[in-house]
Parts: sequence; C-alpha cells; structure tokens
Amino acid sequence: MSEFGLRLAISLTQIAAVMGIVIVTVLILTLAERKVLGWMQDRMGPMEVGPYGILQPFADAIKLFFKEDIVPAGANKLLFTMAPILCLIPAFIGFAVIPWGPNWKFEVNGISVTPFVISDINIGILYILAFASLGAYGIILGGWASNSKYSLLGGLRSAAQIISYELNVGLSIVGVLLLAGSLSLVKITDAQAGGFWNWYLFALPAPQIFAFVVYVISSVAETNRVPFDLPEAESELVAGFFTEYSGLRFAFFFLAEYANMVLVSCVAAALFLGGWNAPYPGTIMALLGVPSLAWVENTMWFAVKTYSFLFLFFWLRATLPRLRYDQLMRFGWKVMLPIALGNIVVTSLAVFFYNQMK
Amino acid sequence: MATTTTSKRPSLSEWFKTVTFYEILVGMKATLSHLLNYRPVTLQYPHEKRTLPDNYRGMLALLRYDDGTEKCVGCDLCEAACPSRVIRVVSAEVPDEPTKRYSKEYYMDMTRCLFCGMCVDACPVDALGMTREFEWAVYDKRQLHLNKQQLLAIGDRSFPVREKRLELQHPNVAFFNVAFKHVPPKPN
Repeated sequence: MSEFGLRLAISLTQIAAVMGIVIVTVLILTLAERKVLGWMQDRMGPMEVGPYGILQPFADAIKLFFKEDIVPAGANKLLFTMAPILCLIPAFIGFAVIPWGPNWKFEVNGISVTPFVISDINIGILYILAFASLGAYGIILGGWASNSKYSLLGGLRSAAQIISYELNVGLSIVGVLLLAGSLSLVKITDAQAGGFWNWYLFALPAPQIFAFVVYVISSVAETNRVPFDLPEAESELVAGFFTEYSGLRFAFFFLAEYANMVLVSCVAAALFLGGWNAPYPGTIMALLGVPSLAWVENTMWFAVKTYSFLFLFFWLRATLPRLRYDQLMRFGWKVMLPIALGNIVVTSLAVFFYNQMK
Repeated sequence: MATTTTSKRPSLSEWFKTVTFYEILVGMKATLSHLLNYRPVTLQYPHEKRTLPDNYRGMLALLRYDDGTEKCVGCDLCEAACPSRVIRVVSAEVPDEPTKRYSKEYYMDMTRCLFCGMCVDACPVDALGMTREFEWAVYDKRQLHLNKQQLLAIGDRSFPVREKRLELQHPNVAFFNVAFKHVPPKPN
C-alpha cells in the first residue's frame, strides 16, 4: 500500500469512529433529553418502545425515514434541499480537532498516528469557531427557502442571535487562549494536566469562571436551545426555521442541533474543564499497575465532563422559560459582551504580571 | 433609556442576586430536587388504570328490572332535561296494556353529551344510569349515535344486579301508569 493510501485509510478509520461515537451520542441524547425532562417534571418520558423506552431513538429514526418528504410550493428547491446539509456539515466537521483521549503518537510505516484526535492542527479552536458560524447559513437558508413567513422570521432571528452570541463565545475563549498560549486543543488540554486546580476554570493566575459562565450561556444560545430557542419558538413561530421541513430533511436539522450540542460540550470540556485529564494528578490505572489502560480512564473523564455539560442543557431546558427577543439581544450585547471583554483585560494583566514575576 | 417607573436603586443583596443568577439557581435547584426525589404522577394508561370514584359519571345506559322488563316508561323527561339535546325518545303505548307506555325508540348522540347527569336526575323511574365506562374513542363519530338496544346492552353489562319492578318493590303505592294486577279488586 502506498503511503498516501495508508494515510487515507487511517484517517478514514478515525473519522468513521468519531462519527459513530457522535451519532450514538446523539441517539442517546434524544432519549436522555426526554427522559430527564420527564423526570424533572414528574413524568416518565417515553416508556412504550422497549424496556423503559430504551428503543425510542430507533423508533424515531424509523418514523422519520418513512415520513412523507414534502417540498412546499414556491420553495426554492435547491436551497431547500441544501439547507439541512449546510446545517449538518459544520456541526460534524468540528469534531476533527477534538482530543477525546490522551495525547499519544505512534508510527505506522513512518506515518505518525494520533489515535485520540483526528487531526491536531495549530488553529484547532479557531477552526471550530469558523465552522460553527457557518451553521447559521443552513438555518437562514432553510428559513428563507421554505417560502413561509414563520420560517423566514425564525431564520432571521437565528441570524441575529448566532452572530451576537458567536462573538461572546469567541471572546470568552480568549482568556483560555491567553493562559495556554496556543490555539491547538491538544496543547490546551495538555496544559491543564495534573488535578482540577490546573483546569482553566480554576487555574492561577486568572481563573476563567466568568468566561465559563459567558461561554455556557452563549453556547446555549448558539445551539438554539431553551431558554434561547427563539429561531424555533414553537409557541410563536410554529417551529421556526424548520416549520416546512419533514421526514429526513427535518431529521438532518434535528441531528445538526444535537451534534452542535455535543460539539459545544466537548469544547467546554477541553477548554475549561481539563479535557480528558482526571481531576486528580496522574491516573488510577497507573497506580493499579496497568498504565497501558490509562486511556480508558482518561476518555471516561472526557465523556463524564461532556455528558455533565449536556445534562446542564437539559436542566436549563426543564427550568427556564424562553426569553423575549429584545431581552436576548440586550443580554447578549450589554451584559455578556462587557463581561467577556473585561475578562480578557483582567486575564491579560494577570498573565503579564505573572510572567514578570517569574 | 426611557424613564419608566420611579426606579429604586437596588440594594446590595438584590444586586448580588442579579449578578449570581440567584433566581435561576433557585429554579434549577427545584427541578433537580424533582429529579432526585423522582415520584412520577403519571399512569401508564392502557397498562394501569386509575380506580374511579364511586360517583364517576361515565357512559349513560338504560336499565332493566330483574325480570328483564325495561324501566323506561317513555315519559320524555330526560329529553326535556338534557341541556345539549342528546336524547331523543319516541314513546308508544304498550300493546296489551293501554294505560302503560314505553319508549319505542330511544336515541342518544353521545358526541354531544356533557355527562352532566341531568337526565338521570330527571328520570322518575330510575331508568337511566351513569356507568363507569369511559373508553369510548372511535374512528367514526357515527358509532357514538347509540340506539335503545345498545344503551340497554351497556346497562346490562354495567349493572348486573337489577332492581325488582317498581310495583313489586312498593305494592301499596299507586303509580299512574302501572297496571294494578297484584292488588285484589275491592269486594262489592
């Protein structure tokens, strides 16, 4: 096999593995969200399909496959078809730079393989932010191409909302980047090794607690989740930008939203919560004398952090009512933005004086 | 900013609560406590059913006496009492007993019924009863236009223990539409 072929095979295997993990996570989430919401509201959630409703995601998938796929009259057919895909691709593409396990490298026939990250690029977080903002195109085009006023309103809301809150996400991350001195997610995660006091949420000289709060709120807004689900606002806009969508196209929007949630949670875990690092120094596996199994523990910690963040999404959804649109914009620009900017100033000063003292 | 109401300067504790999202955290605590002390209030309906109260007002039914004769005397009072005009009674004389009437046809349009129970109250001979049957979802509304036979059948299965005929229950009471066969004629 040629070198190129081997490289391609390794990359494709990794991509398939990560895609599989993401899709399984999305399947789990569709069930978990309904279950958690049900439990928090003293209901049971889905119970009919399989024991305790475990097979519900598959039932949903089958239903979506066999639903009638309608293109409304007067819709722009090309854009209508493209929109869900435009939404889905940016949501999945970000996972290429997420390090979900220890930073290992080994060589296969002279090709270096990093098993726990598809590609460690120097501008990892910038790449994620860039593609995340591309997802807005899918939503806006979906709203516009549907030839429906409600969809158009949903799409326009989404445009303003995603641009406003994308800014806050970007600015809240800057503090972490200043501390880490790198845009590579692998390097940022490595810098947080050795116990939870080294996570950038708590790390000296500048704990990023405010930045984390800004990031959480902005990422909830960016993924169009309650209480910031104005683009879909079912009580005002029927279903917002995907009102006219049905069947598999709707499923793509749905999948994209959940994939975005997973991506945002992974980034939060990697940037603020130490990524795959355990909250204690070293690993238990190493103490038990099986250091070769340390990756199990580390990926488990990454999963725990990601899933706790996802749980926060559900928790917020069960608690909060939807914001009004002007409240959303005012909160984003007048509250979140100054806090994020202030955090950058404080972190810069702290890092500067910390380096002076060294 | 437009001047709205007289704005009071927030106290330090109010300001602190706003900054720390205190109200939101209280709400999140409430939802989490429901998750941790999880006591579902829902029933898995087709599999488990609620015990109905004794005075539950379910489907209406026509009743019989224990010898199988219908209680209904075709007096139309239920039709008059019904606020949503569910009931339609066509009464006729009993062929053999000229003083006695019965309902020749009896229709109920259950699509309109409010289950208020006024027809049951109005009935002088307790010929109508409210059963505890409530699972009456149908695909075709016309299936809810019940006739006399259907209503009697509902009564038969819901009230297996029947009463004796009125004249047997109260042999000394005169009923204006009941033939007094059991009272011996006065000796002249």
